[in-house]
Amino acid sequence: MEPTETFFDFIQQQSGKLLEQTLTHTGLTFISVLLAVAIGVPAGILITRRKRLAAPVLGIAGVMQTIPSIALLGFMIPLLGIGPKPAIVALFLYALLPIIRNTFTGINGVDPNVTEAATGMGMSRRQMLLKVQLPLAMPVILAGIRTATVINVGVATLAAYIAAGGLGEFIFGGIALNNTNMMLAGAIPAALLALLFDWLLSLIQHINIRKARKTIVALPVIFLVLSSFYLLPDTYNGKMLAGFTPEFMGRKDGNLGLKSVYGLNIRTLVISDMIMYKAAYEKKLDVISGSSTDGRVKAFDLVVLEDDKHIFPPYYAAPIVRDETLKKYPELEPALNLLSGTINDSIMTDLNYRVDYLKQNPEKVAKDFLVAHQLFKPAGNGSKGSIRIGSKIFGDGYILAAMYKMLIEGHTDLAAVTKTGLGGTKIVFDALVNNQIDLYPEYTGTGLLVILQTPQHITDSIISDSRKVYDYVNSEFEKQYHIKWLKPIGFNNTYALMMRRTAATQLHINSISGFTKYVNQQ
Amino acid sequence: MIKLEHVSKYFGPEKKTAVDDISFEVKEGETLVLLGTSGCGKTTTLRMINRLLEADSGHVYINGKEIQSLPPEILRRSIGYVLQNTGLFPHYTVSENIGLVPSLLQWDKNRIRERTTTLMDKLRLPAATYADTYPQQLSGGQQQRVGLARALAADPPVLLMDEPFGALDPLTRISVRREFKALDEISHRTIILVTHDVEEAFELGTRICLMNEGKIQQLGTAADLLFRPANTFVSSFLDPQRLQLELKSLHIRDLWNWLPAATSPVSKQLTAQSTCWEALEAITTQPVSVVYEQEQKLIDGNGLMAAIAAYKN
Repeated sequence: MEPTETFFDFIQQQSGKLLEQTLTHTGLTFISVLLAVAIGVPAGILITRRKRLAAPVLGIAGVMQTIPSIALLGFMIPLLGIGPKPAIVALFLYALLPIIRNTFTGINGVDPNVTEAATGMGMSRRQMLLKVQLPLAMPVILAGIRTATVINVGVATLAAYIAAGGLGEFIFGGIALNNTNMMLAGAIPAALLALLFDWLLSLIQHINIRKARKTIVALPVIFLVLSSFYLLPDTYNGKMLAGFTPEFMGRKDGNLGLKSVYGLNIRTLVISDMIMYKAAYEKKLDVISGSSTDGRVKAFDLVVLEDDKHIFPPYYAAPIVRDETLKKYPELEPALNLLSGTINDSIMTDLNYRVDYLKQNPEKVAKDFLVAHQLFKPAGNGSKGSIRIGSKIFGDGYILAAMYKMLIEGHTDLAAVTKTGLGGTKIVFDALVNNQIDLYPEYTGTGLLVILQTPQHITDSIISDSRKVYDYVNSEFEKQYHIKWLKPIGFNNTYALMMRRTAATQLHINSISGFTKYVNQQ
Repeated sequence: MIKLEHVSKYFGPEKKTAVDDISFEVKEGETLVLLGTSGCGKTTTLRMINRLLEADSGHVYINGKEIQSLPPEILRRSIGYVLQNTGLFPHYTVSENIGLVPSLLQWDKNRIRERTTTLMDKLRLPAATYADTYPQQLSGGQQQRVGLARALAADPPVLLMDEPFGALDPLTRISVRREFKALDEISHRTIILVTHDVEEAFELGTRICLMNEGKIQQLGTAADLLFRPANTFVSSFLDPQRLQLELKSLHIRDLWNWLPAATSPVSKQLTAQSTCWEALEAITTQPVSVVYEQEQKLIDGNGLMAAIAAYKN
């Protein structure tokens, strides 16, 4: 299969979504630029008249520009919540500087002979501004608007992190799923939009100043029309609002499965994992795609809906280890298997809760747990060799890596180092294959779907049985990578649909089927 | 028509004096030239009359009315203003530039078009060709004429001109100046013109106000400045071009008493209004005769020089 073909296949399959995202993206960009023009041009005019204000105003706008865009979006959440509002405000702040600065520069750049003539002929300050300064500064002001627009097309991709939509949904989904076609389906249209708007605005900028007088009247209208694109895509009805991560949106065992297997058709926002739980708690979202052992499930009093049609594959965690390492240090396997069967879903949730929410140190949480289960022994001399333990950047990974380090050091003569925070699945697995680390905790479902990319018919035949999935990944990993899956730890960190406990109780919903029925009734 | 009383202007935090206690009066229809080197205060003085600058002390009256009694925009619409670098609006056509002040005064469209066309024809910028062109498409001399037309458009009784020909090359400057002088639109207006060009001052000024370091050194006719200088500054200022200036400002009739009577008839004739410079140009080939107050006199090289010398003593 040619990669270009699959890209166009993807575009074709997702054309509706792509159009929606493009319209949303255009809308976000132009609403914010329009606001920035409405505030920035008058501000620019003001500081040409009160020169003392120029330095502080340009300074503040400049500082806005230097705040990393993702951080700026983050600052907006406590103030404005999630969704389009904080995204538009953040984009607006980004667009301000080029517009204020170019208005200021443009007006100051008008030939002083011309302004003196205008004054000498008896123009009032208002007439001078409207008939002389603004028309002559217009090319420079338009250049500023152009810069702001192009910047905002780029920054607006980040809006997908806070549930404001746009082409960022595909880009982040593509990154999360390691799906190049999806990533390009977001990135290429975003780049094309930037080029298109840049080109259109350059046309306006370079036509005869005289003709531009009429065009400039039309410009706000065009901007308003483009801004209104933002409102178009909302075609779902119903009061329930879902917030799914970009990864969940594109997965067969995610939103696609919810649609095809359960027939769930709900208004959906794409949102970053980091703010999703809190948004559900604050009633900004009604249902989210959480992970079943996340500490925040407990912290925000959410309840997991039962997956009664088994679309979410089992994600049982187990350490995966290089065969080479196991052969060299036979004592390693029994030490690692000590943890097997000790941690169920609610224990893992509680451990994550302590780390994520109570901000306890993962090492301390790990040690407390081992002590309580009489598994903790003081570290030996570690003279026999060193084991490198990896982990992903999730809470589970940190805690499990710390436990394995203590188990290895307490129960063998090996030393252990942890390499935590290796990012997503691809990075940490590559590290294992390339002998950068010796082991890390992985989930059976991830092994099946992400790493092995198991064909659909095999997946379908084993997915509902966690034992079969474990056996399949273990034998395939052994065959393909010489990596062994040790005994499962016990908990199943799977995708889960969750909602507020109060809402679930009130509506008598405890399974996804029940939820679907409720949504589709509305 | 225009009257300045003890007008002074200071600049900067250390209150440097730019214009120091200046008073003068310009009569209706008169052209007063403010002459001096750069920084002598002549442009500052001019700009205080249309309130582009506000005087720190003293009073300015136009037609007996204190200029402070009107809002500055209203005042300026009644005063024509010509700038050295024209200050034409690059985004306005020639006719829009010329029609600017009338449109600020809310004349109706037809009247503006009529006035603009008239002025353009008078200034040799036929409306058919130039009305819809932009200033950048014109030559320097043409731009200057548009600037003049703009100042004249609303038919203001008073015209202020700040180095109006300063940006032009010497040849263009002379021809534009000559046209300006001959323009009927100019003759009845009260004009204050700023220049550093002595020749220009002598050619255009009814009276000349020579300034230095913010003060008036002498205010009088060309002949006053040449032959009755108030101080050494005045005479030394004019010395480099003295001969030419004298020849151009002395008329045959001024020398009448010292010229010899004609003995034999001469075919070539001049009028008594001619300047000595014109007479000199004429007699390079043969002597000429002039008839003035029923008397005929002969002019040749020797006779003219002797008469000039006698006049100056």
